[in-house]
Amino acid sequence: MSLLNEFTKGIIKENPLFRLVLGTCPALAITTSVDNGLGMGAAFTAVLLGSNIVISAMRKIIPDSIRIPVYIVIIAAFVTMIDLLMHAFSPDLYKALGIFIPLIVVNCIIIGRAEAFANRNSVVPSIFDALGMGVGFTLALVLMCTFREVLGAGTFLGVRLFPETKAAIMMILPPGGFVTFGCILGFLNKLQAKNA
Amino acid sequence: MLDITKLCIFLLVVSTVAAFGVGYVNSMTAPVIHKQAEQAKVNSFREVYPQGDEVKDETAKYLKKDSSPLLKEVNMAYKGGAPAGVIYTVEPKGFSGPITILAGFDIASRKLTAIKVLNQTETPGLGAKAKDPLFQDQYKGKGTETDLEVSKTPPTKDNQIQAITASTITSKAVTSGINAAREHFAGNFK
Repeated sequence: MSLLNEFTKGIIKENPLFRLVLGTCPALAITTSVDNGLGMGAAFTAVLLGSNIVISAMRKIIPDSIRIPVYIVIIAAFVTMIDLLMHAFSPDLYKALGIFIPLIVVNCIIIGRAEAFANRNSVVPSIFDALGMGVGFTLALVLMCTFREVLGAGTFLGVRLFPETKAAIMMILPPGGFVTFGCILGFLNKLQAKNA
Repeated sequence: MLDITKLCIFLLVVSTVAAFGVGYVNSMTAPVIHKQAEQAKVNSFREVYPQGDEVKDETAKYLKKDSSPLLKEVNMAYKGGAPAGVIYTVEPKGFSGPITILAGFDIASRKLTAIKVLNQTETPGLGAKAKDPLFQDQYKGKGTETDLEVSKTPPTKDNQIQAITASTITSKAVTSGINAAREHFAGNFK
């Protein structure tokens, strides 16, 4: 039950993007089409899973005073591997995500989970934490992507829903990212205020 | 003192293991990435000069010290063993950085076959439109005898290219690159 909790908390209660408001920079930048969101979410989840497993396994031997540099080395190694693998096996996605893959290194969700969770829990709960956070981040990205791609380009996953001339191109440009993010956050806050 | 040595050694060990991991993945993916880059190059050569059946890099043979600095590569397209077209890689300076462009020329008809903007960092929505077919297709079939000119109004002469609205610098940069290739082509392939 508690493992399931670790998994589900990342999806709604502690959703990294909408509840913890971490990782907003890539979220604003790449959420212009749904496949970008899925790709970024998958790459992010893979890195988080790897770093959470290694860091939680090593948590007893990592000296406390240098834990942050050790985390960064581990995270950077995973990001570089994912970067190379994507470049080799999924070049289109690699091109679309561009600079945001190497920037996963400094994505505060990953270092945040290392510090707040993997550092204090054993491997198995850390795996569930990483999967939950990964799925939560991916769902959040896809939600933003859906709004922006449908309204801004008139397509969903590349399938045309209505003619391009009727699309509001602003939605796939940077302002659309802020507008979408603000609206979703506002809506969720209202929902939460009602429940409390 | 002892403490800091211990910390250093720990960090060193972690970094070494991480480096080996990255190195292993790199050795696995490097050939695939290299092959893709080659394939992408061949495909874009096809786009600017579709007729050839084999393309060879002959930059060393044709680019001398006194050639225009905008010219980066010269590739010859062969058809049935005979040279049929020339594909130039030019790199003029645009509004916000170099623009890499391929330009294909047909030796028999002495015309530009097509151009393709490979890489650019121009302003999205303005200069970045240089890679749109609307702009690029203007160069198709242009003659190679005279320099091409950029015009802000719809072209009246055959050697005129209509500039991208509000992006004259980009339009001129692309055209200057094509002109450098044209001049080299006119001088070297008669």
